[in-house]
Amino acid sequence: MSPDGQNRGGKIIASSNIYTALLALVFSVVLATAAFVAYKCYFQYGTIFKIP
Amino acid sequence: MSTLTKILIVLLTLSSIFLCGIVVTYVATADNFKQQNKIFKTRLDAAKENEKSAKRQLNENIIKNQRLEDKLKNEIASLKGEFAKLQAKLDEVEREKAGLLQKVNSWTSITKDFYQTTDKQGQLLKNTLEELNRVQAEQIKQRKELNETTAAFVEKMAIIKTLEAERKRLLEEKSELQSRLDQLLLPVGQVAAAPVPVTPKKDTARPAMPGAKDIALQGLVKKVDLKNSMASISIGSADGVKEGMKFHVTRGDKFLCDILIIDVDAEEAVGVLELVQQQPKVGDSVSTNM
Repeated sequence: MSPDGQNRGGKIIASSNIYTALLALVFSVVLATAAFVAYKCYFQYGTIFKIP
Repeated sequence: MSTLTKILIVLLTLSSIFLCGIVVTYVATADNFKQQNKIFKTRLDAAKENEKSAKRQLNENIIKNQRLEDKLKNEIASLKGEFAKLQAKLDEVEREKAGLLQKVNSWTSITKDFYQTTDKQGQLLKNTLEELNRVQAEQIKQRKELNETTAAFVEKMAIIKTLEAERKRLLEEKSELQSRLDQLLLPVGQVAAAPVPVTPKKDTARPAMPGAKDIALQGLVKKVDLKNSMASISIGSADGVKEGMKFHVTRGDKFLCDILIIDVDAEEAVGVLELVQQQPKVGDSVSTNM
C-alpha cells in the first residue's frame, strides 16, 4: 500500500484502509448516539422532535 | 492522502467519540420529566384535595369555635355575675370577720380579767380555807376543853349527889337522935336545947350577874330607833360591854332612860329602851354608873 493513491483506469482506490476504518467507526458511533438519543426522547416524551 | 488529512481524520475520530460519549452519558442520566410531571400532578391533585378538606375542616372548626366562643361568653357572663355575688359575700364576710375579731378581742380582755379575778378568788379561797382550818383546829381544841369540862362537871355532880345522900342520911340520923333525946328528957321535964353547928352556914352559890356596875363604862348614843324603842351606843365588846348590861342615858344632869344591851359588836352595842322619862337623842351620854 502506498501513501499516494494512484488512479488506475479511473477507479478510486483507498490509499489506506485504517483511516477508512476510523471514519467508519466515527460514523457508526455518531449514528448509534443519534439512535440512542432518539430512543430516549421517544420513550420519555412520546415524540422525537416536538416539545410536549 | 496527505498528512494533514490523516491528522484531521484522527482528530475527528477522537472528538466524535468524546462528544458522543458526553451526549450518551447526559441522556442516560437525565431525569424522566414526564414521569416526574405525572408524580407532581398527582401530588398537586392530592394537595388540592387536602386543601379542600382542610378548608372544610377549617370552616367546621370556625363554626365550632364560634359556638364555643358564644358558650364561653355566656359562661363568662354568668361567672361575672357569680363573681359579683361572691365579691359581695366576701365583703359581708370581711365585715363579719372584723366584727368577730372585735368580739374576740373584747372576749379576750374579759377572759383575762376573769382569769385575774379567778386568781384573786383562788387566793381569797386559799386564805379562807386556811382561816377555816385554823378555826376548825380552834373548835376541836375548844370541843376537847368542853368535853373535859363536861367530864369534870359530871364528876362534880356525882360528888354532889353523894354529898346530898350523906346529908340526907345525917338529917335522918339527926332527927332520930333528936326524937330519942326528947324521949329521954320528957320524963324528967326537960327539953333539949337547939344544936349550934360549929361550921358556919354558907349561902347557895349563884351565877354572877352581868351588871358590872363597878366597871364604869362611858359612851355616847349613836343611833335611836324610837319606833322599835331601840338605840345603839358607841362602845362595844372591845371596851368590855356584854349582853345584859344596863346603861343609863343622861343629858347633863337629867336622867332620860335606861338601855338594856341585847347585842354587842366590837365597836358598838344595841339595846332596848327602858324606863323612858324623855326620848334620847344622838350624842346623849351613856354610862353604867349614875
